[in-house]
Amino acid sequence: MRQLVFLFLLITWFFVNSQNNSIGSYEKLNFTASYNMSGLLTDLAQVTMETKEVKTSKSTLLHLKCKARTYSKWDNFFKIDDTYESYVNPNTLTPYLYKREINEGGHYKFMKYSFNHKSKTVESQMRKRRSDGTFWDVNKSYSFGNSTNDIVTTIYKIRNLDLKSMSKSSSRPFSILFDNEGQKITIKLLGEESIETKIGIKNCYKIAIAINNSDLLKGTNTNLLWLTADKNKIPVYAKFKVAVGNGELRINSATGLKN
Amino acid sequence: MRILFILLGIISAILGLALSILPFGKIALFPIIGSLIFCIIAFKLSQKERLNTTVIKITFLITIIGLAFNIYNSLKPNEIIVEQNQIENDLQAEEEDLEELEDIDIDIE
Repeated sequence: MRQLVFLFLLITWFFVNSQNNSIGSYEKLNFTASYNMSGLLTDLAQVTMETKEVKTSKSTLLHLKCKARTYSKWDNFFKIDDTYESYVNPNTLTPYLYKREINEGGHYKFMKYSFNHKSKTVESQMRKRRSDGTFWDVNKSYSFGNSTNDIVTTIYKIRNLDLKSMSKSSSRPFSILFDNEGQKITIKLLGEESIETKIGIKNCYKIAIAINNSDLLKGTNTNLLWLTADKNKIPVYAKFKVAVGNGELRINSATGLKN
Repeated sequence: MRILFILLGIISAILGLALSILPFGKIALFPIIGSLIFCIIAFKLSQKERLNTTVIKITFLITIIGLAFNIYNSLKPNEIIVEQNQIENDLQAEEEDLEELEDIDIDIE
């Protein structure tokens, strides 16, 4: 009987934790990305995170779309036009189709993952542009674990974590499929902080993000994310440190929030 | 000494002007401020020795032009240019995605 109650509680916990309580169907978050040049922050790009409900003949999905575009003043020097998107289950945020298209100063890359959750396989398509302008494709098939997601879904899943019940310094692992490679990331709750943003003074959860066995993100507890300590848990501020320097992401506006 | 300050002033002024025209924002203020300081010192030294100040005045003018560019660029709002064909491409890509999603096994209760 005790085992049955435990099992019931475990299933309830899993169900509550896997439900989408934070992400709205028509949410739009707008950010400014700045890069640190000799100690001075220079606004470089606009980053948007949008959600939209889309309907297929069989189901309704949530389209998660993140875009990064350099401000027009930079376009003649180094133009960035990146799109990361994922079509997910609106209730559980399970991904079905992921696309990534990057255009960075002439460098072009396209990635697509089609998730099959029954056979636990991902059909991957990668397209790159050669210097002569022609394209080459690489198609592969992978098997993936239960908790593996694409990067866009992972960002939204972090927002959907029950951070209130997490104790300070506790961490959660995430598995990501990125560039045809499985990556493990760890998020660690550092505590709560009140910060001033363009959408007001917000009480936030301060989170450190680290990629295990990778030197993409530098330092310990230096890649930080502030999520509002409310039901929406919107990212309002982020600090990142990479090999070529460090920068910030600041929120400008947030509309269409779920709560 | 006077020549050194004039040279430093010219280098800083050109650097300040170049960085101000390029979208480097506040970083251009470093050479501009440097140039102003070097120009003032060189001007004082020239006055003391009763020497020609034309080069210093031209350098000062370049610095002011750089500063004006910097202020003008800092007042301009950050903009994103979205081209019409990009909007059309996005819509087309979404239609293609929906077609692809029809072929994917989606199990939503």
